[in-house]
Amino acid sequence: MSKNQAPKVAIYDFTDCEGCEVELISLKEKLLVLEKRINIVDWRLGQEAKENGPLDIAIIEGTPITKHEVNLLKELREKSKVLIALGACACLGGIPAIIDKRERFKWYKKIYGEKYRPRGIDALPLAVYVKVDFLIHGCPVNGDELVRILQDLLAGKIPKYRGYSVCFECKQESNPCRLLDKKSCLGPITQGGCQAVCISGGSPCYGCFGLREDPNIKALLKILDDITDQKEIKRYFTMFLKRIKND
Amino acid sequence: MIKSDFIARIEGHGNLNVNWSERKVQLNVLEGERLFEGILVGRTAEEMHWITPRICGVCPTAHNLAALNALENALGIKLSQTTVLLRDLMMAGQMIQSHTLHLFFLSLPDYLGIDRGTELAKKNPALFKDALSLKDVSDYIVKIVAGRIVHPTTSTIGGFHKIPTKQDLEKILGKLEQTEKAAFKVVKLASSLDYPELKVDLELVAQVNDLVVSVSSVNIKGRKQSSIANYKSDIEEEVKSYSTAKFARYKGEVMLVGSLARLAVSGYSDQSYKLDFANPFHNNFAQAIEILYYHQKATNIIRKLLKSKLDSRIVKPSKSPSLFGIGVIEAPRGGLYHEVRLDKDGIIKQANIITPTVQNLSSIEKSAQALLNQNKSRSQKELERLLVMLVRAYDPCLTCSVH
Repeated sequence: MSKNQAPKVAIYDFTDCEGCEVELISLKEKLLVLEKRINIVDWRLGQEAKENGPLDIAIIEGTPITKHEVNLLKELREKSKVLIALGACACLGGIPAIIDKRERFKWYKKIYGEKYRPRGIDALPLAVYVKVDFLIHGCPVNGDELVRILQDLLAGKIPKYRGYSVCFECKQESNPCRLLDKKSCLGPITQGGCQAVCISGGSPCYGCFGLREDPNIKALLKILDDITDQKEIKRYFTMFLKRIKND
Repeated sequence: MIKSDFIARIEGHGNLNVNWSERKVQLNVLEGERLFEGILVGRTAEEMHWITPRICGVCPTAHNLAALNALENALGIKLSQTTVLLRDLMMAGQMIQSHTLHLFFLSLPDYLGIDRGTELAKKNPALFKDALSLKDVSDYIVKIVAGRIVHPTTSTIGGFHKIPTKQDLEKILGKLEQTEKAAFKVVKLASSLDYPELKVDLELVAQVNDLVVSVSSVNIKGRKQSSIANYKSDIEEEVKSYSTAKFARYKGEVMLVGSLARLAVSGYSDQSYKLDFANPFHNNFAQAIEILYYHQKATNIIRKLLKSKLDSRIVKPSKSPSLFGIGVIEAPRGGLYHEVRLDKDGIIKQANIITPTVQNLSSIEKSAQALLNQNKSRSQKELERLLVMLVRAYDPCLTCSVH
């Protein structure tokens, strides 16, 4: 396929850490293979070249926190056939969403002083503003998942979400169950695809892959109630899932 | 049409605003504010080193380790030798990861006349293979020791949830041995690049143990130093109306931090390379030298670990800790400072973070101004290209700077 016929792809980053793009670059040889099948017409982190026309696929990382980003998001939606959210900030609001709108203004004053005119409005998922065709979850995204999903998209398919929770992959990794060990965990209600990387490293699961289909939150809350206090439960549910109701 | 003319191939969103009639430069940082110092308040100590890596996906390990350092100082924890060595190894991996990414994907295209880093695969396949092998070995180090290449999962207050086995370390060593040649080749390449001429008088600043040490870019013999405990008053931050990042100075002087500053402060001199500390473009050269340095350092750390008995103990907090700690580390882009105050239940009451790029912003403006002043005969188009190249040479992380 010549570059002219290849799907036109743009990669954008809104407010975030850009770690998901680092995962993308870290695909190395696999990125080269994918790159041959697409025409990247706009990618600020990767290149200076920039084309404006309609897009086949817009991949957006980060949360649209400034007015400029919200407007750009709406414009990208209009000119793209498929719009993909890349990573927890785009899918869920991410870590920046821990602070809500009202609190933001208190912190602007504390961190920047009284005279400062802030740019950020509120950290929300892309789906609050526009229709998103697929969410590539994770903080950061998982490299293998990224390849699987991009390959599906290039084959003209809308990719599928993992129909199971983190627990399934956690068992495959032979990790002892945190809940059985009386440690808090959001694995049972969180969509798989991460290969339980945090739990395998000894850290908790805070649900960065978003809720799985039909999550049994009530049952998990009952278990967590026996393990810990309400404050900790709240902290777990506000690490990545605070804005989930906005979906 | 919505304009988004941010400088390409740098981490984060910003642009240089040049008033061509007055020939004045302003660096606008336009990244959205995430307010990490606010996010942290009310969270537990255990969550600080989980949350702060999300400040920056290019140097998450540095933020993880600076936070742990602050927390462990607040909790009166003295680490085991194994933990110290493994963290140094994580950091060596992080340095190579970050420098390789920056040099090959963000900066080198300027010197080699290409646009995207991957175009190197066609233009110079051997060099591209070397770049990928260095990215690969550094990703591997961080994955094995920290659990994941971006955002660590294994490290915790007082040690590690999980430490690598000696077999794991031997595997890393094997990969390091295979890639050492590539690291040498990167230095050779960097020594052959055509760096634009520029001379700027700056204060080059780096952390050395418990001290902040500085030398002048035009005379690295005279040293100034101050205690890290005074970092907040010595590295003074200023809020600018045109930037969401603050601009810092060291004791009132315009400062430069990162690879070039570290080499200057360490007294680096190698006559075979003509490294010029007064030319910020040479920061790219210094990054290449550091890739080799941290590559060799990683090898040495692993050899030490393999000779010792690995101690997987997690050290508990002391009986009466101060609950206040400053954590520091030389991150890829320069000195990083994390400060934390905890209550007796381990909840974060206050946090402060000064990132390397905040310390470089005044210097980017000053160097850009010097570039305009020292190149009066060049066309506007040429100067625009050089200015953007200069910003990239600094390897700014605007994401970090607006944390």
